[in-house]
Amino acid sequence: MIPYTIERRADTGVNNVTLGIWLFIASEVMLFGALFSSYALLRVSAPIWPHGFEVLAVWFGAANTVVLSIMTALILRARALDPRAARRLVVAGSALAIVFLLIKGLEWRGEIGNGLVPSVNTFFAMYFTLTGLHALHVIAGLVANAWALMGASRVGEAMTMGRIRSLALYWAFVDVVWLVIFLLFYLT
Amino acid sequence: MRIISTDHKVIGLQYLVTSLCFLLLGFCLIVLIRWQLAFPAQPVPLIGGLLGDANAPRGIMLPEFYTQLGAMHGTIMVFLAVVPFAVGAFGNYLVPLMIGAPDMAFPRLNALSYWLYLAGGIVMVTGFFLPGGAANSGWTSYPPLSIFASAGQTAWLLGMFVLILSSLVGSINMIATILQLRAPGLTMMRLPFFVWAQLVTAFLLLLAFPPLQAAAVLQLMDRLAGTSFFLPSGLVVSGLPLKVSGGGSPILWQHLFWFLAHPEVYVLILPGFGIVAEVIANATRKPLWGYRAMVGAALFMGFMSFLVWAHHMFLTGMGPTMSAFFQVTTMIISVPSVVILSSLLLSLWGGSIRFTVPALFALAFLPMFGIGGLTGLPLGLAASDIPLHDTYYVVAHFHYVVAPGTLFALFAGIYYWFPKVTGRMMNPLLGKLHFWGSFVGMNGIFLPMLIQGLAGVNRRLYDGGRTYTFAGPVVHLYSGQWWSTVLLGAVQLFFIVNLVWSLVRGRRTAENPWESTTLEWATTSPPPHENFPSPPRVHRGPYDYSPAGSTADFLPQHQP
Repeated sequence: MIPYTIERRADTGVNNVTLGIWLFIASEVMLFGALFSSYALLRVSAPIWPHGFEVLAVWFGAANTVVLSIMTALILRARALDPRAARRLVVAGSALAIVFLLIKGLEWRGEIGNGLVPSVNTFFAMYFTLTGLHALHVIAGLVANAWALMGASRVGEAMTMGRIRSLALYWAFVDVVWLVIFLLFYLT
Repeated sequence: MRIISTDHKVIGLQYLVTSLCFLLLGFCLIVLIRWQLAFPAQPVPLIGGLLGDANAPRGIMLPEFYTQLGAMHGTIMVFLAVVPFAVGAFGNYLVPLMIGAPDMAFPRLNALSYWLYLAGGIVMVTGFFLPGGAANSGWTSYPPLSIFASAGQTAWLLGMFVLILSSLVGSINMIATILQLRAPGLTMMRLPFFVWAQLVTAFLLLLAFPPLQAAAVLQLMDRLAGTSFFLPSGLVVSGLPLKVSGGGSPILWQHLFWFLAHPEVYVLILPGFGIVAEVIANATRKPLWGYRAMVGAALFMGFMSFLVWAHHMFLTGMGPTMSAFFQVTTMIISVPSVVILSSLLLSLWGGSIRFTVPALFALAFLPMFGIGGLTGLPLGLAASDIPLHDTYYVVAHFHYVVAPGTLFALFAGIYYWFPKVTGRMMNPLLGKLHFWGSFVGMNGIFLPMLIQGLAGVNRRLYDGGRTYTFAGPVVHLYSGQWWSTVLLGAVQLFFIVNLVWSLVRGRRTAENPWESTTLEWATTSPPPHENFPSPPRVHRGPYDYSPAGSTADFLPQHQP
């Protein structure tokens, strides 16, 4: 039996799962940090860089910002609830994450239909790469949500709440990345 | 033993066997290269006909095949052999035992990490069977060349992406295990230096690898979706202007690549330091000299390794201000290496050294890494780096660090912990033959490289530079390097035979044959599932050899 999977270790003040998810987020910060740095470097050296609000569907982006933020708020709230209510909020949040993906898919379809594909210019290359990678994170989060919900009866309430707490941190990170994407691509 | 196991010992052994196979594969590729350099335009003996007409018609290798061999040798050795060997095998097997834990913090993620590594490695190597062969743009995959390379480069990028997932999962697991699962009484400053080295290594893997993952995604987009992240405007290929949007930066790739690849150097060396420290403390029967300074140096080295990457890029025209910054940080980062190496050297002072096989490898590590480190200093200063850049001098420098450096440390570790894993000893005579043959062979290959590099021979020339007059005085060295390669390969047979033979027939040994102090020897050999019959409690630091005021030769950590 591995110690400290649920209870905290006194000298570090965390359990294994919490430490693990923070380490994971640190690594993700480096991943997206490298991509945003690349964005900055390519943008400042570009002779022309389109304004996102002129070439992208800002309303789609804004709607998605609202959807993903509500989703994150729900799952952050779930941390403080009893296990049954928490699971219901995770289900509701997952539904919103699916809505996010649907909106994103519609938006991509419109852009590709207008010939705005990654090879057009570096703006769209970056846009598709970052939103695509972000969407992969949303999909991964949905898989993790489903895994936490389906494993709930097997691993018990304490473990499930630990997983939901970790998922909440993950979703908050995914939301922050989206906010940066929204700012960099849609609003400037 | 199940194929898919979550026991850290099984996973460690899976890593070991797989990484040893890749090590052998990487070595075979370099044997072909050394043949070509020594005897250009002569058919490869014995296996020349098996290489295929696309690679080596009538057994004579083509330049296109030569570049694949170079690129894949580097990639396989760094990413598929040495790092999984040092971190995956040694870290996985030993860290939980050394900290008195039943397993890693996340056993299932541990298994996932191994299987991702295997999958990534296979994807990368399948490049050899794709049209156009394996990746051939150097282990650094610099664009624009890599963007136009054959399909093998796509396999390289996909494989790298999967490997980085594997190392991400593995490093999270390692850090969580070391911080969370230490046995009662095992404070951080009582950890064996090996565990500290693995901890810092895991942080480097965690934080340095993702930028290469980002870079791999961008290069995949350039290759598959027609983007121009790394393609500048106005590029002309084969006389035709390229039809891409342009505006990208090849230098950006170099930044992202080296932001990983310099910390990677410390990923390669730190576990080596850790193993050598354990073996030396044990062989000298003395506490390590300067344990606290070594821990501090490892932490400082890990931190600084994120601030030196552009010393690989002095030739990109970065300007004197940037170059001055990276020269200064590079000189600073040599200090912690010197601290660790000096501490290990001073640990020998006054010891009554037991010259066992692991001790021989560990002792040889010290001067070999010393040569590797000191030859690096001229490369860290732009003025001397500019003429030496991309010559065999660079190749000799980092091979001294990794081959007779890290690999010797890893071999020391194999001979040292083999009785832990199997309950049997390896044969010392075969071990000594393996050691002396490897020592002579490696120096016979890498020492002449320093001379060739100083003469100005570029590292990637298919004919070894014979078309250039300045290479004239040094090309005859290639044949000596070939025969050293033959020797090096031949003595590895002693190692392989020893490994297999000792597994079955090796002398059975006592629980603690090296009379060691650390916790991995506080259980049976091999250890049972969940490692310890009852959780151990730690009462002292890791190196209580020849303790003052006691008649005992050593006091184990778990002994009250």
